[in-house]
Amino acid sequence: MKYVPREPRDGINVSKTHPLVEAGTLVAGLSLIFALVVLALVFMVELALLLVSPEAEARVFQDWKPGDLVAVDADDQRLAGVDALTQRLARHWPESPYRFRVAIDDSELPNAMAFPGGLIIVTTGLLNRVESENELAFVLGHEIGHFRNRDHLRMLGRGVLLSLSLSALGQGSGSGLGLTIADFTLRGFSRQQEADADEFGLALVYAEYGHVGEASRFFERITDEYGGDHGFYEYAATHPSPEDRINDIRELGRQHGWSDSGPLAPLEW
Amino acid sequence: MSGGQALDLFFNIGFPIALLVFAYLIGSLIERRHFASIRKRESALRGFPVTTFERLPAQWRVSNAGLVSGSIVVSLDYFKRVIAGLRAIVGGRVKTYEPLLERARREALLRMAENARRDGYDAVVNVRLETSRLANAAGNGNGTAGVEMLAFGTAVKLDRR
Repeated sequence: MKYVPREPRDGINVSKTHPLVEAGTLVAGLSLIFALVVLALVFMVELALLLVSPEAEARVFQDWKPGDLVAVDADDQRLAGVDALTQRLARHWPESPYRFRVAIDDSELPNAMAFPGGLIIVTTGLLNRVESENELAFVLGHEIGHFRNRDHLRMLGRGVLLSLSLSALGQGSGSGLGLTIADFTLRGFSRQQEADADEFGLALVYAEYGHVGEASRFFERITDEYGGDHGFYEYAATHPSPEDRINDIRELGRQHGWSDSGPLAPLEW
Repeated sequence: MSGGQALDLFFNIGFPIALLVFAYLIGSLIERRHFASIRKRESALRGFPVTTFERLPAQWRVSNAGLVSGSIVVSLDYFKRVIAGLRAIVGGRVKTYEPLLERARREALLRMAENARRDGYDAVVNVRLETSRLANAAGNGNGTAGVEMLAFGTAVKLDRR
């Protein structure tokens, strides 16, 4: 037997594909798949909403509250005030299947949220910043608008399905990419929902006061305080940026011919 | 877009992408240089038999024998890790890992052969390769800090009389 010296050959154990081509193919392909999955989830949630009537939802969730709510005292003046204002605004939507309830969450970040069963939660951070009833009325009207369009269930359903599908991917780069794609895909839907809720809220404010003056004042103040939306990320991520939103609200008022000045109602606490 | 949004965008998307680009550039530079070094040293060791025979050929007269080994520990760069993570979703050849393990195998064999030659042996027979995963001490032990590739065999000195 003869030993013939031979050097190892390159390229047998290593694929020829350039790493950047491999990366590009994977990122593009998976992004497309994630986007399609998110669209399928959106479609499934819409389907589920058709099956659950607002009446059934209101019945099931009539006494429900989120477990992590840090409620203020039941005899807090502001609770009665916000509740009374909500009921007055809701009168302008007589066909509403919801019996609106109000809760105040004791947290500093200014925010308002719509929950199943007609529950509206506002934070003390928001109440500390509003200066007239008209400002607060628009925020509440906006949340009532979410109920009319059933966005509160839509967001809840999408959130649950999305986190289920992301947890199926596990930790790591896959779920990171999935989350980014989902965020971008859902952003368009979310913006449209917010704009629709703004329109309905503004109509309620006009019906209540006969003008829409100061309706966007809350967002102007937020913009001043935070200097754009920096530090305001949680709220701004799902909503249009305050600057755009203020312009949109003014434009909406002009289109409908709603006067933007008139007497302001003081807060009742 | 306001300054705040730009900052958020940077931290959420820009920073990981910058890290990926950095890891890719550095990682591929190191890989190219390592392959160049491997080829050069392999060429220098041409003619030094490294075989997997378990039995010596009958005509070999061995005057001395001993255990020789060579090992290397390699780790992934961030780019390879991320791309392999994406690959793991759909399955298939993890192409970004292939050159890494190829480098490890050839480097381990080279180190073993270089050891043997330095100690005056003429060949290495019964060569085996072993791989073991190093657990990540910093994490929960589920991650991988790297792999060790170990090559070992019996070095023989031939009696040329």
